[in-house]
Amino acid sequence: MDVNMINPILIAFADILPQIGFQKIEKKNISLLGSTFNYDGVLINLAVVGAIKGVILIGMDIDSAKRFASTMMMGMEVTDFDSLAQSAVSEMGNMVCANACTQFSKVGINGLDISPPTIMFGQKGQATLSAPQTIVIHFLVDNIDVRVYVGLVS
Amino acid sequence: MGIKVMVVDDSSFSRMMIGEALVEAGYEVVGEAESLELLIETYNNCKPDIVTMDIAMPGADGFECSRELRLNDPKAKIVLVSSMKDEESEAEAKRIGVCGYVQKPVDAETLVKVIQNIMSPDSLFEQLLERGLETFKEALAQNVTRMAKTPVTFTSIESCDTPYISQGITTVIGIIGQSAGSMIMDLSAEAAEQITEAMLRRPAKNQEEILAMVAELANIIAGIACSMLNKKDKAFALRVSPPSLFHDNTAEIVSPSVKIQKSIAETDFGSIFLGVGFKKGAKLWM
Repeated sequence: MDVNMINPILIAFADILPQIGFQKIEKKNISLLGSTFNYDGVLINLAVVGAIKGVILIGMDIDSAKRFASTMMMGMEVTDFDSLAQSAVSEMGNMVCANACTQFSKVGINGLDISPPTIMFGQKGQATLSAPQTIVIHFLVDNIDVRVYVGLVS
Repeated sequence: MGIKVMVVDDSSFSRMMIGEALVEAGYEVVGEAESLELLIETYNNCKPDIVTMDIAMPGADGFECSRELRLNDPKAKIVLVSSMKDEESEAEAKRIGVCGYVQKPVDAETLVKVIQNIMSPDSLFEQLLERGLETFKEALAQNVTRMAKTPVTFTSIESCDTPYISQGITTVIGIIGQSAGSMIMDLSAEAAEQITEAMLRRPAKNQEEILAMVAELANIIAGIACSMLNKKDKAFALRVSPPSLFHDNTAEIVSPSVKIQKSIAETDFGSIFLGVGFKKGAKLWM
């Protein structure tokens, strides 16, 4: 597992989330999966192109995604994962990944760019990435389970 | 009404120089700020069309101020005006969503040209909206016909706003360049299996083989389409990410920040959904 691939993302999470209304960002654990893994709920796909390329995915179950969007919207009640909630979590994905690119540049990986977010949501599916291994960082953000899947190769 | 500009710079001399250049060009300077303090308040009060932003400032720098401004108003149009200008600061500016970048000492003509470009319609983006989907359709038709020996015809989907539900296997490819975007390709597991069989001239051994074929097909379509667009105008500078595949469920697919143009390719093996969308890029960097 290449720590250089994870640290910029950890820093980006810790940097951005307090700015959008979250107070407690805990890193629970880091694990390693193959290129295919199961997901259930929401996956925000952000492609990365540059000296390292691949994808960063942010995953939550639907209830967590609604709670997440609610916090971002200053406690507004979110009963459905509707277009407003989708826009909120995708904006979070965009901010975290843009910040991660900045963090990568601080360790000498310059000029990375990200694509606009695409969200997939449904029950129990599988994702297959082009990177042979996927690093999974499990965060607890104000008691909301968030998993970040990192499939980047240099 | 003229174009309203707000000038953010810690140096009163720079604010005066930039302000005078703007006024001479017929713009209205509606507000000034020298730091993050009062930046948002001033912006919200004077509601400028454009903000010029210094980078090196005591306390929060221009990047941080730009982030705060964009958090406050995601549509804020910011031009960085700084003596600092290198590959990384440009990349950082683009990631934040800054529209333009002008190096100090400020050449009034350059600054005005950048602002004019930001305020006028984005011709490259308009071209992508016009040609983007057609080019991707052409790349899909050519390659599916060539590789799987099936004719391809298209039916268009009028509404961009209806959510799309996956038929089984979805591929998402990120596109970066002057305008960033995404390509989404989706087909049923049965169609994927039959196309794989047609391409390999034997049944697929397992699901991995089918997924690998789908990923490769999407990769080829996106790569060729972006090359075709880059050949028409190299300023597009489009590059593609490796594909991500989502399968084994019926997920809904949305791209909140991009309007996806959609089409359905009909083949002998079933239909293939194609969605392509771009968002406006940075305008001018000088």
